[in-house]
Amino acid sequence: MKKALAIMLTAAMGCGMLSGCSGGGSTGGGAVQQTTQAAQAAGDSGSSSGETSAAPAVDASMYEVTEPITIQWWHSIEDQNAQTVEDVVSAFNSSQDLITVEAVYVGSYGQVNEALVAAHAAGTGLPAVTVANTPYVAEYGAGGLTEDLTPYIQATGFDIDDFGKGLIDASSYEGKQVALPFLISTQVIYYNKDIADELGVTVPEKWDDMESFLEKVSVVNNGTVERYGTVVPGWDQWYFETFYLNKGVNIINDDRISTDLDSDAAVELVYQFKDWCDKGYMYWANGTDASSIMRQNFIDKKTFSVMHTSSLYNNYVDKCDFEVGMAWLPGGETKDQEIGGCVLLIPSKNDQATKNAAWQFLSYLCSKEVNMTWAKETGYIPTRNSVLQTEEGVKFLEEKPAFQCIFDNLDLINPRIQHPGWNQLATIWKNYMAEIMIEDVDIPSKIEDMVEEINEVLEDS
Amino acid sequence: MKGTNSSLERQLAAQRKKKIVTGVQYTLAIIVTLIVIFPLYWMISSSVKSQDEILLLKPTLWPHEIHLENYSNVFNRVNFGKYYYNTIVMTAGILGSQIITGVFAAYGFSKGKFKGQNACFIFVLGALMIPLQVTFIPIFIMCANWGMSDTFLGLILPECISPYYIFMLRQTFMAIDDSYIDAAKVDGLGRIGIITKILTPMCKSTLFTTTLVTFTNGWNSYFWPKIIAKNEQRRVLTVGLAQLKNTFAGQATMNNHEIMAGAVMAILPVVVMFFIFQKYMLTGYSKAAMK
Amino acid sequence: MEQNTFLKPRTISAIKDFICVLPALVFLGIFTYYPICKLIQISFTDWNLLNDTWNYVGLKNWIWLFNGSGTKHLLNSLKVTVLYSIGELTITLLGGLAFALIFGRLNKTFSIMRAIVFMPKYVAMSSAAVVFLWILNTDTGILNYLLNCVGLPSVDWLGNRNTALLSVLMLTGWRAIGYGMMIYLSAMIGISKDYYEAASLDGATAVQSFFKITLPMLSPTTLFLFVTTFISSMKVFQSVDILTSGGPYRATEVFVYTIYKYAMEDFRMDRASVVAIAFFVLLLVVTASTFKISNSSVHYDS
Repeated sequence: MKKALAIMLTAAMGCGMLSGCSGGGSTGGGAVQQTTQAAQAAGDSGSSSGETSAAPAVDASMYEVTEPITIQWWHSIEDQNAQTVEDVVSAFNSSQDLITVEAVYVGSYGQVNEALVAAHAAGTGLPAVTVANTPYVAEYGAGGLTEDLTPYIQATGFDIDDFGKGLIDASSYEGKQVALPFLISTQVIYYNKDIADELGVTVPEKWDDMESFLEKVSVVNNGTVERYGTVVPGWDQWYFETFYLNKGVNIINDDRISTDLDSDAAVELVYQFKDWCDKGYMYWANGTDASSIMRQNFIDKKTFSVMHTSSLYNNYVDKCDFEVGMAWLPGGETKDQEIGGCVLLIPSKNDQATKNAAWQFLSYLCSKEVNMTWAKETGYIPTRNSVLQTEEGVKFLEEKPAFQCIFDNLDLINPRIQHPGWNQLATIWKNYMAEIMIEDVDIPSKIEDMVEEINEVLEDS
Repeated sequence: MKGTNSSLERQLAAQRKKKIVTGVQYTLAIIVTLIVIFPLYWMISSSVKSQDEILLLKPTLWPHEIHLENYSNVFNRVNFGKYYYNTIVMTAGILGSQIITGVFAAYGFSKGKFKGQNACFIFVLGALMIPLQVTFIPIFIMCANWGMSDTFLGLILPECISPYYIFMLRQTFMAIDDSYIDAAKVDGLGRIGIITKILTPMCKSTLFTTTLVTFTNGWNSYFWPKIIAKNEQRRVLTVGLAQLKNTFAGQATMNNHEIMAGAVMAILPVVVMFFIFQKYMLTGYSKAAMK
Repeated sequence: MEQNTFLKPRTISAIKDFICVLPALVFLGIFTYYPICKLIQISFTDWNLLNDTWNYVGLKNWIWLFNGSGTKHLLNSLKVTVLYSIGELTITLLGGLAFALIFGRLNKTFSIMRAIVFMPKYVAMSSAAVVFLWILNTDTGILNYLLNCVGLPSVDWLGNRNTALLSVLMLTGWRAIGYGMMIYLSAMIGISKDYYEAASLDGATAVQSFFKITLPMLSPTTLFLFVTTFISSMKVFQSVDILTSGGPYRATEVFVYTIYKYAMEDFRMDRASVVAIAFFVLLLVVTASTFKISNSSVHYDS
């Protein structure tokens, strides 16, 4: 007894001291760590991305990396693509001598957001480069969290015009280029092509044809659903927000302080969704495990189709023992869609040396070669016009014919709605939608409550 | 004659009744135990199943084959080794600082004499009423501003003093007669000597049990680590485990066998400790019951 | 001699004693009392973590909380937290007592079973939660499988607003019930056998002596369990966070989770602070009233 106590005490004290030391030593985050190795000649630093070349107008020397530096890159690329992350980062590290990049998996986009904002508020522990989900660009731009990349682009002659206009808009705030597009996806419907061929149906292009389509593909026997027509991911409003936009609903009105989600068109949509959910045509996926449940149901053929992000294409194809089809979402008056995925940005509170190194890595990640690596191995979309409109694009489509639907509609992929209160709005909206779809509630009064709450958030942001 | 007969009958009846009661009690107890142990059994048995077996429509109670590679998979794909290290250092840091500050403060409040002693003690007791769940916002901001996000210091500092621990020790020290202290003083022992040579050995069992409770609380803590350690670097086991389902979510299918393997690894040290120190762990809590 | 007129030995000793408690006082000051003041200050600002600057906005957040769109959510959190507390109290007190009666036999077999029933208390909540997450899963969980086996339909345990809180309670109850049992058992062992012998001489049945002797004698224990469980259950966070994230549609959004969400997800430090203060006041009221009950209505034996 006495011995045990003595051991525990000693161990505890020893460890306590240890922890003190290591705690002080590694202040974490994007702190710049100078390595003791001899500095490389400054001139070598520009060769990393293959796109940097001398540029006019801006003094390029201001943005050069002259000292060895270790920087952190925060990302949310999940486990199944860990190998690609490692390959891409180590290729960068070995391509030049000054910058060492550490890739850190932080968690989901939401968790990256939480960590980044917290670090920004503290002014310490910031990463040199981080991913950010597309809707956060406005919040970050408005809060001054991001570095304006325009001078870097000018100084290094980065070929920004090779991105489509939609992508450029999606990563800028009030005309400033505060980020660059990285892993870009859009909403699609994945469907079971084997069943579709058997039934002789195709995913409709028009919203008005949705009802008859769902009726054909779902199997409902005496009230028990054997196969759903489709699944809507209710955990993220991104998946259903295009249906509103294509019906002409302004999710945020031009006055920026109110929403149109109680307009006739919006309410009609809600009733339509509800009707289909009640009939067993549609399943509203909600809850902590909803994403994996939804995917598992598709794999097990318990649903004909699911609405999801194009980035998971390879994933679905690998796991399903039937042919997976991919289709553009049915449109209304328009058939626009929105950019999903993430952009890359440099937090503004980093020091200049870190920012310069960060920019080199960032421009490498956004380069055509790296982008094509992601496009081939996942379902993210090629972002470069020089790919999309050339032979390369044709070759890509030969490998992944399902992406034809995206290539056909590239011009229709629009930036997200940008508002500092967007995140709060989205939470309220998807909560009410899930409640309406899953529970038996008085729909008009719920919509009224929801709109009141959203308006209050918009005014206050 | 008749009387003895009926008393015998009564005795037999009482015995029968006793037997029935015993039987019912055993059956009930066994059923309840099986239900209570089931989640743990399910966790362990699933952790060695193959993914195909996990996905079977008819769950299997006993694994068909043993797949220990689930454990190495989790260890390799997720930074489990790092989580372990972080948890151990954090727990040890909390434990060490709580013991040292606790012992000294308890001495001051029980055997020391100074003006405002009562007021100071009420100050400590009052802190019991203010949980971290209320004050975490300003504390988080302070720690972040001091550059302590994602550091061990940040994980440990807000929990390095426990008013509860001070209170428990003070009560125990109070029970020790002052004559021991006076004798020690005559022998020329200073405060540190009195604490380490007299008080601590005399109260070792309380100290030990309270420390065990502190240890499990530290090891299992979740709320504060989740707030202050946002990225991989200083993530602890509990948070990392809750995170696993997101990390694996991209894999399209249920990876519950690997998540279970992670869960088993996370609880192993505490459960082993539980069996070794079972007796003390209970008294730790029932001592707390007397406060 | 003269040097010591300024600092007498007694004074030096007092200073040394004070130094022993000083670290604790300083730390509690910085990490407990100061934050409360800071919290009150933040509640009068419009501080959003995203912005570098903040302004004082007077009572705006308080109005939002008590007479605005925040009121609805405040009442919801209050309702959910109280329901949860009642649930956990019921499980710990009634369940613990029932378990204590079942497992009250003093032999080797029962002591092993007791250890098993008590063990979940030591299983980290997050480990337990991921297991329950799977057991309760609508499609692949074993609980629904068992229900289907006996002909009952599947239940969407975590996704349905009527069962979500119950599911959280299953998890916390699983961890708490063995603890309640152990506390009751150790108190029962302490009750003198004389009372029962006297009662059985008077012809009292086992049931009668349970209600007339055991229960009253256990009242201090019951009170202890009631107070500690009540206060700790008000602070529940982890099980909710992992199992339901407050959902579905706020049906399990307890107080701490609400504060956490405003602060760490929406970055609305201003709103989080007013809710936190409201929660703090509630905790104080609960603590004070439980102590008041304890002073008036408990049967203390010697």
